[in-house]
Amino acid sequence: MTLQVAPPDVRTPEESRAITERQSGWLVIAEQESRDLWTSGRGSLLLFLFSILLSAVTYLTSTNQALNFLEQRESVNLVLQLAVAVGVLVTLVVSADGISGERERGTLESLLVTPVPRRSIIAGKLIAALTMWFATFVVTIPYVWVLARGVGILGQALALGFCVGTLVAVGLACVGLLISGVCNFNKTSIAASLFLMLILFAPTQLPSGLPQGWFFDVLRRANPVDSGLAYISSILVNGHSWTQDLSYLITPLLTAIIAGGALILAGPRLVRLTPGVNAG
Amino acid sequence: MTSTTVEAVRLTKHYGGRSAVQDVSFTASQGEIVGLLGPNGAGKTTTIRLLTTVLVPTSGEFSIAGHPSTSASEIRRCIGVLPESSGYPAHQTGGEYLRFFARLYGLSRSKANSLAAELLATVGLEQRAESSVSTYSRGMRQRLGIARALINDPVVVFLDEPTLGLDPAGQAQVLDLIRTIAKTRAATVVLSTHLLPEVEDVCSKVVILNHGRVAGAGSVGEVISTALIEQSAELRVPIDLVERARNVLAGFPNLAIDQLSEQPDVLVLAVDGAGTSGGSGDVMNAALAAITAAGIPVLRFELEGARLSDAFFKMTSEAVA
Repeated sequence: MTLQVAPPDVRTPEESRAITERQSGWLVIAEQESRDLWTSGRGSLLLFLFSILLSAVTYLTSTNQALNFLEQRESVNLVLQLAVAVGVLVTLVVSADGISGERERGTLESLLVTPVPRRSIIAGKLIAALTMWFATFVVTIPYVWVLARGVGILGQALALGFCVGTLVAVGLACVGLLISGVCNFNKTSIAASLFLMLILFAPTQLPSGLPQGWFFDVLRRANPVDSGLAYISSILVNGHSWTQDLSYLITPLLTAIIAGGALILAGPRLVRLTPGVNAG
Repeated sequence: MTSTTVEAVRLTKHYGGRSAVQDVSFTASQGEIVGLLGPNGAGKTTTIRLLTTVLVPTSGEFSIAGHPSTSASEIRRCIGVLPESSGYPAHQTGGEYLRFFARLYGLSRSKANSLAAELLATVGLEQRAESSVSTYSRGMRQRLGIARALINDPVVVFLDEPTLGLDPAGQAQVLDLIRTIAKTRAATVVLSTHLLPEVEDVCSKVVILNHGRVAGAGSVGEVISTALIEQSAELRVPIDLVERARNVLAGFPNLAIDQLSEQPDVLVLAVDGAGTSGGSGDVMNAALAAITAAGIPVLRFELEGARLSDAFFKMTSEAVA
């Protein structure tokens, strides 16, 4: 077989640059990464497992009237907290595959030689990872709707879950990408993010009847997931206003700012073939 | 008029205390195919990664299409790269893969579609455009990678081991494609490979690397003559004319003549380099001319030590020693 190469249409670098600047690379990467996440079955599987977990908890909180001593507001709070906690932590794990996974699959170098800036590559991957959070939130809506009927907190619960969840998810997705950038192997990155997920998730499952001193409060406020959930709880269960316990959002906000800032600053040194911010 | 598109000056890359590439310098011009040769670990891939801005050199400078090494973004706009052991997203189709990269270079969806179709046809994959990459053979993946490297109509194309793991037919297809790229697109092709005979046919220039340093560079002929390999030749003539051939060759004082006992119609010629002006090639040429002038039919004349592979082995083994 003889292969023929047609003479190309000549485009000057200036023309290429003008076009590239019009069409943002981060958007193209975000679109492709999201498609990869959802068409490869990875995202769908995680979402399926998430919906099974949520179904089981919703079923138990709404049907077993003999054993269930929760008020309806508390039931909504419980399911929403679980959805936010699991949703953002799954987002963390998905983002932890972002850079190290590409490195391991040998697809990163092809991306690095395109004119798309390193920070745009990170932005695209961050947005793709956040689609995991948005998908879990969409799945959560009918469950919250079922539980919140008649109490008049449906809109408030969904708005609260979306705002707090998105804030925490952005911070943790940035943390996941940072982990992914500095890890040698994808397995290390995933394991580290799973470990972090356990550390952050475990305190949210502690029984509320435990003695709660100042140390427990500090611990709770230091954990971006736990403090975010505490904020949700204070509004949904305790009936506080949105502005009353804003201090609970300091840690999620700081996590997003610090991890996001670190990604912006160290991004070009993270998205490379050799892992680590100090890699030559 | 051809212009210099690749210029590397004393490129050096250290990893900690280990030197991967040391003082590598060479140039390449428009439409030229440059073979980057060397044993495993010689620094070929590191050199390509430096020139494609994936790695930052420890010292030294380079320019691609007139853009200095400090203008990484400009360089990336005018290069196409097929990395060594390039991975492909298994669940994407060949068409999707190329469309994605076309859009990264700023093309609209419709233009990306038409360019992807055109390039798939170029590399002979138009029938498999909508097949998943996971169903592609290794050769097909390499051709897809080459198509991706051409997506921005590059001034310089870097191909790192494009024939690795391919069968002879696949190798021939890829080499044919490389030759055509340089010819029709007037692109410079920097080709890293282990296929020495093919390089000799395809490349207009070679750079031999060994232990991170340039062991030899220039046209194939220049590299072979630089290697100063002792040349010998096997000459087969009709058996009844062997004695006559010996008498003709006796007129060349620098030529040692031997006869193979198992093949009495074959004469082994070796040039004694000391005192030979013009090199052993000239002596061989003159001897061959004398044989034909004497009306002796030449049944076979095979020159040893004049291949690129001979120079390659000499240069890489000398540097080790």
